[in-house]
Amino acid sequence: MNCSETYRLLNGYVDGELELGGSLAVEEHLAGCPRCRAREANLRSLGSLMRGHVELDAAPERLRARLRERYGARSSTWQRWRPWHIAFAATSLAALTLAAWIGIVEIVGQRAPLSKSAGKVVYHITNSSTASAALRTLRNHLEASPDVTVVVVAHNEGIDFLLRGARDSSGQLYEGTVRGFKERGVDFRVCNNTLVRRKIDSRDIVPEATLVPSGIAEISRLQGQEGYTYMRL
Amino acid sequence: MSSEEVKRERFERLVLPHMDSAFGLAVWLLRSESEAEEAVQEAYLRAFRSFHGFRGEHARPWLLGIVRNTCYTLLAQDRRVGPAEEFNEESHGEEAVAAGAVLSFPSNPEAALIQDADRELVRACLRALPAEFREALVLREIHECSYREIASIVEVPIGTVMSRIARGRRRLESELASRMTQKKSTGT
Repeated sequence: MNCSETYRLLNGYVDGELELGGSLAVEEHLAGCPRCRAREANLRSLGSLMRGHVELDAAPERLRARLRERYGARSSTWQRWRPWHIAFAATSLAALTLAAWIGIVEIVGQRAPLSKSAGKVVYHITNSSTASAALRTLRNHLEASPDVTVVVVAHNEGIDFLLRGARDSSGQLYEGTVRGFKERGVDFRVCNNTLVRRKIDSRDIVPEATLVPSGIAEISRLQGQEGYTYMRL
Repeated sequence: MSSEEVKRERFERLVLPHMDSAFGLAVWLLRSESEAEEAVQEAYLRAFRSFHGFRGEHARPWLLGIVRNTCYTLLAQDRRVGPAEEFNEESHGEEAVAAGAVLSFPSNPEAALIQDADRELVRACLRALPAEFREALVLREIHECSYREIASIVEVPIGTVMSRIARGRRRLESELASRMTQKKSTGT
C-alpha cells in the first residue's frame, strides 16, 4: 500500500471503521512511513480537539416539556381524552355527588398516581450558579420521598461544585454536603468531556463523584434504558 | 392497553430520550437555537406520525434522519442554501480526495498551531464548513455515530460518508490553521 492509498483509508482507520484486512494493510504502511504516521497523529489530535470543544447542546427545558406533553405516555392532554379516563371521571363525579348528598365529602387527588419510574430521577446541573439551589431542591425531594433513587449528572460549568475546595456563596465547603448526599445514596457523575474541554485534572474532582465519558450520553442512557425522569436544574 | 397507549409507551421509551441528540444536530445544521427548536418540534411531529412504520429498538439514527430532513426543508423554505446546492458529488468524489491527497498533507507546524485553538475558534470553523461536511463531522465526533449510521441518516453510501469525513477534517484543519496564523500575526 502506498501513501496515497493509505491517506484515503486513514480516516476510516482512525475511526475504527475499516475491515480487518484494511486495518492491517494501513498498519503495515504506517510502521514504515513517518510521514503517514505524522498524519495519523494529526488526525487523532484533531478528533480530540473537536470532542473537547464541541459538545452536544442540550435541548432547552421548555422544548422538553412540550415534547413530553405532546408525545409522552403520561401526557395529560392525551389522558384527558382516553375513554376509560372519561368513564372514570364520570363515575367519580357520580360518587362525589352521592357523597355530597349524604354529607360526606372527601377530597380526592386530581392526578393519577405517579408511575414507578418517578422513583428514579436524574438531576442535570449545567451551571455553577444554580448548584446551591439544585442541592436544596434535592434535599427537599429526598425529604418528601426518601425512597427515590437520584443520580446527579454535572456538565459544563455545573461541575464546579464537585471540585475539591469549592465553596458556595456563603463560603461553605460543598464537600460536606456532597458527602452527606452520597451517604444517603445519591450518585454524583461528572462529564469527562467537560474536564477535557476545560482542561481540568480528574484528580481535582471530589472522591464522592465518579467520571462518565459524556454527561449527555449518560443522561440519554439513564432516561432511555433505565427509566429515569429528567430534571434540569 | 389500547394500540394508542402501546404506541405512546414505545415512543416515550425509544424516541423521547433522544431530544438532546435531535436538538444538537438541528443547532449545527441550522446554526440557530431558535430555528433548531422549531425544527425539533416539527421533526417529533413527523416521527410520531410515521412511528407505526418504525421497527427495531434503536430509534436514534431514524429520528436523526427525520431531524436532518426537517432542517433542510426549513432551510429551503428560507431560501437559504442546502447541501444539494452547495455540493456536487460528481465533481468532488473520492477520486478527487485520493489524487490531491498527498500534496495537501498539512505540515507539522500547522498541526502544532491548531492544538492551541480555543473553544470559540473550533466552533466557528466548524460552523463555517459547508453543510455536507459539517453534518458528517458533527454526527461522527459529537453524536459518535458509526459510518453506517451516518450513511443511513444522510442517505448516501458508506464510501461517500468516509470521503466527506476525510474532506471535512482536512478543511477544518486548514481553516483552523489559517485563523490561528491570522490571530498570531495580529497579536490577538
